[in-house]
Amino acid sequence: MSQTTTRTTEAMNTFVEETGGWIASQLEACTRCGICASACHFYQATGNPDFAPVWKVELLRRAYEQRFTVAGRLLTAMGIRKRITDDDLLAWSKVVYEACTVCNKCAMVCPMGIQLGPLIHDVRAGLAAAGMVPEDLMAAVNKQLEEGSPLGVTDDVFAERIDWVGDEWDVDIPLDREGAETLVVFSSIEIMKFPENIADIAKILNAAGESWTLSTEGREVVNFGFYEGSAEHTALFVNRVLDAAKALGVKRVMVTECGHAYDALRWTAPNLVDMPKDLEITHIVAVLDELVKAGRIALKTGAADGDGGVTFHDACKIQRRGGHIEEPRRLLKILAPESFREMTPNREAAICCGGGGGVIAIKAADPQRYAAFGLKLDQIRETEAGTVVMACSNCRLQFLDGVQHFGSDVKVRGLSEMVAAALDGAPPADDPTG
Amino acid sequence: MPSFNITPVEKGIMRCRHTGAFSHEEVQALASFLNEYRGRLLIDLRDAAVDECERHIRNFRPMMPTAAIYGAALDPAILDIPEMWYAHDVRLFETEREALAWLREQ
Repeated sequence: MSQTTTRTTEAMNTFVEETGGWIASQLEACTRCGICASACHFYQATGNPDFAPVWKVELLRRAYEQRFTVAGRLLTAMGIRKRITDDDLLAWSKVVYEACTVCNKCAMVCPMGIQLGPLIHDVRAGLAAAGMVPEDLMAAVNKQLEEGSPLGVTDDVFAERIDWVGDEWDVDIPLDREGAETLVVFSSIEIMKFPENIADIAKILNAAGESWTLSTEGREVVNFGFYEGSAEHTALFVNRVLDAAKALGVKRVMVTECGHAYDALRWTAPNLVDMPKDLEITHIVAVLDELVKAGRIALKTGAADGDGGVTFHDACKIQRRGGHIEEPRRLLKILAPESFREMTPNREAAICCGGGGGVIAIKAADPQRYAAFGLKLDQIRETEAGTVVMACSNCRLQFLDGVQHFGSDVKVRGLSEMVAAALDGAPPADDPTG
Repeated sequence: MPSFNITPVEKGIMRCRHTGAFSHEEVQALASFLNEYRGRLLIDLRDAAVDECERHIRNFRPMMPTAAIYGAALDPAILDIPEMWYAHDVRLFETEREALAWLREQ
């Protein structure tokens, strides 16, 4: 299928539609020095030059040159430069979906300051318009469109699961409570795979006397439209949460342990949809830190010091993108003051776990996903920590799968889980909603 | 008496035997175990009440590792969740022999 078809046209139209001054300036600024490759965990782990970020955006650059530059138009018209074909779309689909987590670490090292992550997201947008999204990822998108959840969290499943967690973990979980201050939105991974996260976060918020609720309508924050690169689907899925927030009259939405959903709701949504006025979007990491600083919950100092040494994994969308870098460290210095140690590199320079951006959902990506995780595991081993903690359940799933793949005995824990386990004589709950 | 016990069968396979009604603490302990366990699981329900098992298995199903269940006449529909990247294969068998044979092939 090495030809130009309607697929190619759809992709080109999307690229052209997206291309404004910002994209043009980014593409024109690139000197193709290739330094970005040194920051990419997929390139580092495999040495495959196709995985270099500069190559990942090459499709967008070609489209830009062929439509917007005189030289590009002339060379294309003369047949010297080849037009983009369906084969090209397929090749880049494999690269930008299966070997990129859109972690944007490449932008940290670019001497020109080019934001490669958003550009790669734009490549995904063109491929999504052309129907070139990998089958596994598209199946999850379709499931979220049809059932409201990529992992099958239908109304009934959600109701049963919340009932089970509330009952078995003996914790109050308010549902659809109008007038609550905070709408708490979980990812489908937490609901299905880590239900104890729901109980742990409920315990923490109840102990702090927070006025909060879950929502049946906006029951999960995961956004496979964002992974796909489809603005239409991204907007549809964020609106489910925002509509629920409006209906319940909450003042803020708190995203729990999910990274990409935080990015989608906090930074992407304002560019796609009308955000409710004065609605704050925050992340559980920031809230946990606030609650401790305000004295609304107290934690047992050193509660995690017996875990064989603790290290922290910085999630791309929460720490590098979100800037929540010091909050988890302040918490871990209470929980494990004697045994907390940093991986190298860390903070905004940390490398991705390899499972973000929808990569973990694509079976064909497994070889490079495990290879990239191998780098992370080496960094954990260098700390000699027995436990690695994080605030993203997608990362946590990748870590659990990765440590099993490599036969490691490192324990993988969520930050909220550790905080809940360390709750110590919190002030009595004073629920303003009664 | 605890509601379940976990014992090794052979390398990479553990047996989880249900022995009575679950307390809240035991459900939480089992959730922690399922989060941390990295092998395959042989689930023995010979001493279990079917209705109690069905509720918990339905809820534990997304967290389960590759597992073979035997010893109780469960509704197969409780294992029916989307086969996506986070879910491992879990099957029902009539006998321990069949269950173990399948598990060894996984």
